[in-house]
Parts: sequence; structure tokens; C-alpha cells
Amino acid sequence: MRGFDPKWRDVPHFIIGITKDIWEDRGVGSLRRLYAPGLIVRSPAAVVVDNSGVIAATLATLAEFPDRALLGEDVIWCDDPEGATATSDAYLSSHRLICTATHSQPGVYGAPTGRRVTYRILADCAIRDNAVYDEWLVRDQSAIVRQLGFDVVDWTRDLIAREGGPDTCLRPMTPANDVPGPYTRRGNADDWGQRYADTISAIMVADLGVIPARYDRAVNLHYPGGQDGLGWTDADSFWTGLRAAFPDAAFSIDHVIGRADPMMPPRAALRWSLHGKHSGWGRFGTPTGAGVYIMGICHAEFGPFAGNGAWGEPTIRREYALIDETAIWKQILLHTGAHA
Amino acid sequence: MKGFSNQFKDLPDYILKITKEIWEDRGLATLHHYYGKDIPMRFPSGLVRGNAGVIDGTLATLAEFPDRQLLGEDVIWSGTPEDGFLSSHRLVTSGTHTGFGAFGAPTGRRFTIRAIADCAAKNDVIDDEWLIRDVGGITRQMGWEPSDYARHQIAEEGGPETCVRPFHPRDDVQGPYRGQGNDNEWGERLANILTRIMDKDFTVIREHYDRAVRTEHWGARGDWSWDFAETDWMRLRSSFPTATFAIHHQIGRNDPGTPNRAAVRWSLTGKHSGPGHFGKPSGAEVHVMGITHAEWGEWGLRREFTLIDEVAIWKQIHLHTGGVA
Repeated sequence: MRGFDPKWRDVPHFIIGITKDIWEDRGVGSLRRLYAPGLIVRSPAAVVVDNSGVIAATLATLAEFPDRALLGEDVIWCDDPEGATATSDAYLSSHRLICTATHSQPGVYGAPTGRRVTYRILADCAIRDNAVYDEWLVRDQSAIVRQLGFDVVDWTRDLIAREGGPDTCLRPMTPANDVPGPYTRRGNADDWGQRYADTISAIMVADLGVIPARYDRAVNLHYPGGQDGLGWTDADSFWTGLRAAFPDAAFSIDHVIGRADPMMPPRAALRWSLHGKHSGWGRFGTPTGAGVYIMGICHAEFGPFAGNGAWGEPTIRREYALIDETAIWKQILLHTGAHA
Repeated sequence: MKGFSNQFKDLPDYILKITKEIWEDRGLATLHHYYGKDIPMRFPSGLVRGNAGVIDGTLATLAEFPDRQLLGEDVIWSGTPEDGFLSSHRLVTSGTHTGFGAFGAPTGRRFTIRAIADCAAKNDVIDDEWLIRDVGGITRQMGWEPSDYARHQIAEEGGPETCVRPFHPRDDVQGPYRGQGNDNEWGERLANILTRIMDKDFTVIREHYDRAVRTEHWGARGDWSWDFAETDWMRLRSSFPTATFAIHHQIGRNDPGTPNRAAVRWSLTGKHSGPGHFGKPSGAEVHVMGITHAEWGEWGLRREFTLIDEVAIWKQIHLHTGGVA
């Protein structure tokens, strides 16, 4: 870890450590050092440029959810030799977190509801020189909205109004408003990452037979909206429901990491996107023809128990896939004009 | 796999395949082959002898929940083909209540719970077994409180004098399996954690569990991080503060392609003399059969699964207090 504070033993230690220092232990101001100036944070809801924007957003979240805890479930990372500099090594970390919080103060979610929420975040961070310098983040917004007691579509419609209406509201991330950042690499060449990328790519061309072949029969599934599932049927319904809503959208795998670490099951992290028209019946209701961009991040853990293929062929035993459904509904509502 | 049909590549393959063949693919009659004629099966609800009882029990369950699925989450095992294997098999089971049975007239309700089965296997036959289903979980999902359901069970079984007695070691029989597991370090670790919990040294959880640990407990309840695990174990121990804790079987494994993991079968035997999971202390003599599975990661214990049968515990309490009506 050349270029990093020697107190950090490895990439997971750095990521989990700074996450706790900044967000839980209130070192928000240290974002000025730990987040590089000019850094771009892309989330489905918006593209935010510079650490000043991140500090403002962090304070807003902490003001609304003061007891928020960020539990680091996993860090799936890779070396980034091309990104290394004379002073520092470089890495890309895909960090999976469980967040728990109480909605005890007013904020973007409205008047305090007193409800407890539990939701996931998947954050891909490019790091070097002891700082994050490029980021892609998907928060399970629809899980938060549902747990606070709102309907996702109604809440999103209301959000557009609260942000000043369709002309002035925050624009969800699309290729048109994305800002290219310094990290342009696509991950590592590990077989586990490739295996997962191949599986999701097959699903996206509707080769659904890949699910019983490549997933454990008892796979544990964690999907957007805080929905947990189990087994092949639930995997099939999530991925089919998503693809069916955007049948002609262009699918692209944007980043792939695989790892086989001694203390962990083999695992993989993918970042992908779907870009195209909302032209089918599926997870997002009546087709509207809205142009939609979806950034997804997913993690998988592999295990030794076969699917319906040959015994000994590893399969996906746990899958965590996130998209931000409120950002998708926002694009749909802005297109149809049904935001009023 | 000497002594086993050559269709099975290893013990997990054997366990997962015969589970599907027998219970999901309706091969009930294959139990005559796969289950020993006199197999002792220890459920927290009572001891059952012989494969005929298992076949009838299975048929009754399938009549009540014909779409029941059994998804095998893990098989943590020890032993050899020569000495016999012990497989600790964790399943997620789900089904729909469409037939008349133990939960009465069909309600159309769905259930999803876990079960852990410790099965001894030798020469292609399961000949000794300990099985814990999350009966508290299924009971709640069928619309009952476990305490009320235990009362209902006593009445259905003919009242306190004649009802089936929950399992207690004084009724146990010696089956063919005499192993105690293996001496792998991960089994040792889990045994130490459980022992410290039962010694009321609850600092063990923050010391050994990952901060983002996921704990899945009886009653189909689970949560993240330390608080849930601490509270739930405290409430269990507090219900039986002077009960004797014993570890009966302990397996650890480090297999390529899986996290390091362990399976421990344990029990608490003694008085229901404190508050916790089981209401007001009743002084009932209770035996609690438990099985715990754990997985470790780079930052400690990352997943813990523990099952006990709450209904069997309530039944022992009601039989003691006489609060059976």
C-alpha cells in the first residue's frame, strides 16, 4: 500500500476504516483529504462533482438520520497498476454495506417518521494517495422509501415537485450528463469475475437456462427494494422482470472484478448498465417509451454445490444486485409528464 | 465413496441428491433403502424409531404442504466411508398450507423456515439422526403463537397424560453412530464461542463476530451486526440460567471454494428459572436441543445460523405448569 497511511493494512482495511471515520465517527471534514479535489461521484440519482458536494450531501443525510450505522459486508477489490503514480499504488474497491438508521429528523424524505430503515449500498471507489479519486455508487433508495412507508412512484413524483418541478429538478445520471473521470480501467482478469459477467450477459440476452446451470439451487438473493429471495425462481423473476421492461436497451458490462482469497469464498463484483427505451411490460409497469439509463452494481459469492449441471461445477450461492428504482421512475415520470 | 452408490461423488452430493429424491421427487418408498430400519431420529419434539415412522410422517407433511421445497444451503460434514460420515445439513424449506394437518384446516398461508439435520451415513444408508426444524418459525407463519400452538398440540395428542413427550436425554437410545466430529480448528472456535456465551461471557460476540455479521435464529428471525446476536443469546441463556450446557458434536472445515465453517450440536438441560424468550419463569425442567452453523471471513465470524424448537420448549413448560387448557 505505497502512498497510503501505514495504519491501513490492506485495501479492505482502508475502505472500511475511512468509511467509519468519515461517516460514523463524524470526521466529515476529513473528506477534504480523503476525497480528492474534483472527484466525481456518480449515483443513479445524480452526478456530483467535487468533495464539497459530497460533504454537503453527507451533512444532509446525517442531519436526517443521525444514528446511521454503516456495516461493511464486503470489499471486493483489484489492483490498478495503470493508475499507480510515482508516489502511490492504486486500486479499485467495490464496497458492499448494510446501513441501518432511524428517520428522526426532517430532510429529503420529509417530516421525520421515526421509522428504522435497513438498506444496502454498493460503492465502487478508485483509490490512490490515501484518497478516493473517482466513484460510482448505487444506494437502494426504494428500500428506504418503502420502509419509511411511502409508495415508490408517489414518492418520486413528490421528489420532482420538491426539487422545483420537471425543469429544475436534479437530473438522474445518463451518459449525456456523466462526467468522464480519471479511472477508465475495467477491472481485473480473474476467472470468477469473468464467470459472473458471462452469467449476467447470458441473462440479458434472455438465455435464462443459465440460472439453474450457474446458480446454486438454494442461492440466497438480495435485490433492490430490500427484497430478499431464494432459489432459481426468485433469481429468474428479478432478472426477467428487469430485462422485460427494457427489452431493447443496450446492456454493457462496465467493470469486472473477481477474487479468490484464502479466507473467503470465491467472489465477483460487476458494474453494468442498461441504456434504452422503457418499451416492455415488466418491473416498471405500463411501457412508456421513456429513454432510461440504469447503472447497476452486483456482487456474487460462489460455492461448491452444483446447479443442474455437472457435480463439482461451482455456482453462485449468494447474489446482491442493486439498481436505484427511484432514479428509473424519475426518468419515466419526466418523460410521460405524469409527475404532477 | 466406498460403500455408497457410485452415482454420488462425495458426501454433500449424496445428501443433497437423496434429500431431493426422497422428499421433493416423492421417493418416499426409497426411505426403505436410504434410512435404516431402526434408525433413531431425535427431534426436539420427541424420539422416533425406525424408517416406517419417517415415511408416515413425511406423507402427512406432504399431504398438508404438497408443494414443499427443500433447498440445501450447506452440508458441513466429518468422517470417512469406513467409520461412517456425519453430515450437518442446513436447509431452507418452504411450502403452502393447502391440506389438512398439524396446523388444522388449510389456510393457504406460505411458510419459509430453516432446518438443520445431523445425519450419520454409512454404506449408502442414514442410520442415526438429530433434526431441528424451526417449528417456532412455521407456527408463527401459520398464524399461531408458539406457546398457544404447544397447548393445542397437547390437547390434540390426547392431553397431558398421553401426549408425545418432547425429547429429553433420559429417553435417548444409543444408535450406531458414536463419533463426536473432527478436531478442525474452526469447530473448536465455534465450540469456544458457544461455551463463552453459555458461561455468560457475552463480550465474546464483539470479540469474534464481524461487525456486519448476519445472524439467523429460531423463529425465522435474523438481523445485522452485534446487537441482535447478543440480545438473542442473552434471552435464551437468561431463560435457563442454571441449565447445564453440553456440546455433543463438533465439526470444522476448510474446503477450497467455501469460507471456513463449523457445525456444533449442543444442548441446555435444566430449569426454566429466568425471564427471556419464554415468558415468566416456571421452574419447568427443560431440555433444549440446539444446532449452530457458522461461517468466517477475513474480519471474524460473518454468518451464524442457530436453531432450537420453541414449541417443544413451550410444551415442556406447559406440561410442568399444567397450563394446558
